[in-house]
Amino acid sequence: MSSSTNHKDHAALATQFNKDEARVDWHDQTLWFVRAKRDKAAAQVPDWETLRDTASRIKDNVLSNLSEYLKQFEEAATRNGIIVHWAADAKEHNEIVLSILRNHKVDRMVKSKSMLTEECHLNEFLKDNGVEVVDTDLGERVVQLADEPPSHIVLPCIHWKKEEIGQLFHKHLGTPEGNADPQFLTYAARLHLREKFLTRRAALTGVNFAVAETGEFVVCTNEGNADMGAHLADVHIACMGIEKLVPQRRHLGVFLRLLTRSATGQPITTYSSHFKRPRPGQEMHIVLVDNGRSTHLGRKDFRNSLKCIRCAACFNTCPVYRRSGGHSYHTAVAGPIGSILSPNLDMKQYSDLPFASTLCGSCSNVCPVKIDIHEQLYKWRQVIVQEGNATAAKTAAMKTMSWVLSSPGVYHTAGKAGRWFMLNVPFTVKNKWNAWYLQRELPEPPKQSFGQWYKKNRKQ
Amino acid sequence: MSSRNKILATVKNNQPGPSDLPPDHNGPTVNGVDLTPQFINILEAIGGAAFLVSGYDRIATILREQFPDANRVVTSCHQLTAFAAGTSAAAALSAETPADPHSFENVDLAILPAHFGVAENGACWITESQMIQRVLPFITQNLALIIPRNAIVATMHQAYDRIATLEAEANASVTNAPATEGFATFIAGPSKTADIEQSLVLGAHGPRSLTVFLVDEHLSDAGFY
Repeated sequence: MSSSTNHKDHAALATQFNKDEARVDWHDQTLWFVRAKRDKAAAQVPDWETLRDTASRIKDNVLSNLSEYLKQFEEAATRNGIIVHWAADAKEHNEIVLSILRNHKVDRMVKSKSMLTEECHLNEFLKDNGVEVVDTDLGERVVQLADEPPSHIVLPCIHWKKEEIGQLFHKHLGTPEGNADPQFLTYAARLHLREKFLTRRAALTGVNFAVAETGEFVVCTNEGNADMGAHLADVHIACMGIEKLVPQRRHLGVFLRLLTRSATGQPITTYSSHFKRPRPGQEMHIVLVDNGRSTHLGRKDFRNSLKCIRCAACFNTCPVYRRSGGHSYHTAVAGPIGSILSPNLDMKQYSDLPFASTLCGSCSNVCPVKIDIHEQLYKWRQVIVQEGNATAAKTAAMKTMSWVLSSPGVYHTAGKAGRWFMLNVPFTVKNKWNAWYLQRELPEPPKQSFGQWYKKNRKQ
Repeated sequence: MSSRNKILATVKNNQPGPSDLPPDHNGPTVNGVDLTPQFINILEAIGGAAFLVSGYDRIATILREQFPDANRVVTSCHQLTAFAAGTSAAAALSAETPADPHSFENVDLAILPAHFGVAENGACWITESQMIQRVLPFITQNLALIIPRNAIVATMHQAYDRIATLEAEANASVTNAPATEGFATFIAGPSKTADIEQSLVLGAHGPRSLTVFLVDEHLSDAGFY
């Protein structure tokens, strides 16, 4: 979806999502439920704020010394027997993965959750090159069967109702029609995917954290799918953005305490697996991917977003995300964090996203690494407008507003005209061409302006 | 220029000025508190089960009652090999036996030692040398882990301190072989998912149950279980 350049913008896609009001309410409440669990988990940790502060400062150090940490990690991982690759962009990343698979004559692979491979559109690329990829996270398998991208980075099919998943599984996995019991459907997926784990010789996983000091990497899942894939496969490929490093192993303590509490309200994921060496007879690869990150690092106002640990707390709390759905962001990483990461990848294509926010600041308040998300959203708006990427309507409206507000004469005339039109010919403002009227009732027009009222009352 | 050098050059050029690491954070101080109740409460809250036991005989008794239908039982605890062999069609495997990971496909119950537990999240730290094959704690239908009762640390900060100590001890005792473990994991509860409408389901791809035994040799069996 995000690969297309002629996409609808966030507002248009959100309008589409909002046609079914009951469904929007359900979506909103489901995510708020997750947000509430996060609050409860955070409140049980007495040193929560110190943890956030420490995590943020560790990431500051990582960003300030990233080139050295990358070299240190490469050296340690290589010493451990892991093969390290470097990919400048999505295309090179995809080609590296394909060449590893071709070397092993593999044309079927299992994959656990990796937002990086979504960002690089790896699945489509491999499919075009004759490689079948099976996503093994349950939520990701659901959206894959439905031929959709995930709508949420932690809860990929949060926009799906169980009855619809029942129907989807009936079609693809042969479950009885009309069965929508989560327990039953999960068991059906367990059997379906166990067969894949046992028969695929290559497994690809994402990376949550990589340790510069030791050359190991950590993968966190609740389902155990990353481990099932990796430990049964002859070849394990782990793909990571270059910003995923932490300096030392003991720093994992800080991040593992924050990650899952922020994401789902659990104290930790079921599995936090530390991969250091391939098992005997296995080949282990790491692909370090840049894809715009090194450029982003040079943007002073925006580099902090590279601290992100992908917990999605900012999604769950965002009043816009909860009511517009993940697909309205037309990008691999949706939500507030995606809205500040994506313009770096392509400012034109994602110029709408920093406007998909009320700037309420809730995202920044829940962020476990203290990224100033709402401030960056605001700053992106300035950059986008300055570089001429705002829509024609917004540019025209802003210019008109600036003309009106900069001249007292024009301002008074416009105010008078506005009140007259609303009083005498309301249909000229209450119509579908006025974007302000679409979701709002316009106020009763006052009989006089504040200026007129003040003049009159001061005389008395 | 290779992609590697190009990336490193751009990163070096664009990275901000020096920013020191913050002082080590060690979490709240909990000296002298028995962490067992917190560990058990949290483990139960995340879908696991815990038993305080006096020793391996007790573990065998409990597992026999919990998993009467277990067909294939595998363990790396030599104290339990007789129990595993008694219930199993295949012979129990010892830690030394190399095996194709796929051969564990039909394991009903794996009983493995772990190094320690973490009170704040109910997780146990288990390393490669304890799990026979890396895939075993994940592919088995049910998993039982055994830790000494006094091996519970308060938070993840103490957990990584303990991991560093374990590694230093292994380094001191082994001379030729690589002393550090190639794979290790924290396991907190049974495998789970809530991907379908946020309904929690235990047993996604991995074990459908997790039982942790806390061994305390000074414990009397009376009154427990």
